[in-house]
Amino acid sequence: MTDTATDFATRPPQGRLRRWMREPIANILLLFVVLQLVCIVAALVAPDAFRYLSATNIELLMKAIPILGIVSLGVGVLMISGEYDLSVGSVYTLAGYLTAIVFTAGYPVPVAIGATFVAAIAIGIANGLITTRAGIPSFITTMGSMLVVRGIVRWLSEFGSISFRPPPEVAAVFTGTVAGIAAPFLWFIAIALLAWLLLHRSKLGNHMFLVGGNERTATAVGIRSQRVKIVAFAICSFTAALAGIISIARVGTATPSQGVGMELRAIAVCVIGGLALSGGRGTVLGIVIGACLLYMVEDVLLLLRAPGFYLDVFVGAILVVAVIINTWMTRRSSK
Amino acid sequence: MSPTAAADNAPPLLELRNVSKQYGHVQALSDASFTIGRNEIVGLLGDNGAGKSTLVKIMSGIEYPDSGRIFRDGREVTIRSRKDSERLGIETIYQDSALVGSASIMRNFFAGRELTKGLGLLDTRRMNDVVMDQLTNVVRISGINSPDIPVEALSGGQRQAVAIARAVYFKTAMMLLDEPTSALSVRETDKLLSHLGELKQEGVSAVFITHNLYHAYERCDRFTILSHGKVIRNLLKSETSVGELNEIIVKF
Repeated sequence: MTDTATDFATRPPQGRLRRWMREPIANILLLFVVLQLVCIVAALVAPDAFRYLSATNIELLMKAIPILGIVSLGVGVLMISGEYDLSVGSVYTLAGYLTAIVFTAGYPVPVAIGATFVAAIAIGIANGLITTRAGIPSFITTMGSMLVVRGIVRWLSEFGSISFRPPPEVAAVFTGTVAGIAAPFLWFIAIALLAWLLLHRSKLGNHMFLVGGNERTATAVGIRSQRVKIVAFAICSFTAALAGIISIARVGTATPSQGVGMELRAIAVCVIGGLALSGGRGTVLGIVIGACLLYMVEDVLLLLRAPGFYLDVFVGAILVVAVIINTWMTRRSSK
Repeated sequence: MSPTAAADNAPPLLELRNVSKQYGHVQALSDASFTIGRNEIVGLLGDNGAGKSTLVKIMSGIEYPDSGRIFRDGREVTIRSRKDSERLGIETIYQDSALVGSASIMRNFFAGRELTKGLGLLDTRRMNDVVMDQLTNVVRISGINSPDIPVEALSGGQRQAVAIARAVYFKTAMMLLDEPTSALSVRETDKLLSHLGELKQEGVSAVFITHNLYHAYERCDRFTILSHGKVIRNLLKSETSVGELNEIIVKF
């Protein structure tokens, strides 16, 4: 009984840094920083040929990243909890429509936004309830709600195009600039911080990781896994709606084809950011970097005047390579 | 060998009286009675489908019996959820699913019972301290130098040790070990069995559910044998042998 201590020592001690370097996030961060440095150097050497650091380009990036970024944060929270949501693109479009319709009907902006959030959260809870109670894959549930919500949007759009033109001081909350940083980007940072607090520092977030990692075990230790998942579904729909509202405040007009394909892009962002498709693994930093990386690659290709089809090819290639690296790293670190 | 608590006058730690449970057409348990005494390790034996797991699930609050009564220290109780069994001091350690592989040691240790600073925010530093203290001083594991290591990077024995340290920290009165040795090496099994002995000294009773009669015989004070949902024998270690136990299980 005296040598208990040595008997469990079957593995050499690991350093904190070495362990971290084996995480998927370390690779993505490294790739991101290297790419960023290359672009900055290139832009400094040839500022006219490669306008990466120009004010217009930076502003464009700061407005483009947040929409998909915010949606991805919600999708990521849900993915860590072990489920998918394919309905985010539809909810995103519906949110724009609802806000515009309620506002056009004569209600103040906060009421319009509040009503939109209530509707979105209701869709999320419905997704969660159906998935957990019926015990069916969320892939199917949310594919269904994706089509249903898309249908509702089509129906709403038959009443003609709807515009949302709030008073400028209200619109500034979503479209203004603070200290040179576009408001949507500030929203992105704020939501990312909240997501970080939730996932990495809160009790509920711990339950999300455990339920996503192994639902049976989580239930066995007393975690109400169904409730955790339903909350995650609601959060996911909420962020999709927030992105939709930010977008309509900027664009001003709702069109039914917005947000098509967004669900797959959001999943791609999460996967590039090192989240496991099977749930239970991932970081908020990864999602943020994933969103930035995706847009950065598209942006660079545009600046280099690459033809449009290159974008899809590159994003597709990055997605597959990222998953290969992440799978490889996860397998190595769990050995 | 001192007499077990079952023979004492004090009421047993946990007593299940005439418990039945049916799944569809299958009678998983019929009128089963089972006790856990103070400072004793009970071996719960029986072939596949005898009802061992159902009994464990009822005690740990995952299943609710169709009929029957449960007593803790002689007082009648109901166990409807995992929270209820936790309150009664019952901790279940499953074969391989006691811990979530992708999560860190600390996050597993406090799963469902996190220490918070209020507002649902985790007190990570305090939890890390507790985990390292428990691992180094209670189950005495070395080679784990950080509470952030994911559980999937640990060996089978280290995982069991984490689960046991957790049970000890949360002041468990009884540990239910469902096939604890099936995933362990011979050396690790040996270690686990000696841990059970140590814990008994500290006043933690245990139920040991296993197929391996040699392991059971070595460590248990008493045996309850199930067959087709019924309790067919209750034997003290001093009254029986491995051969006899095997014969009973095979015969029924």
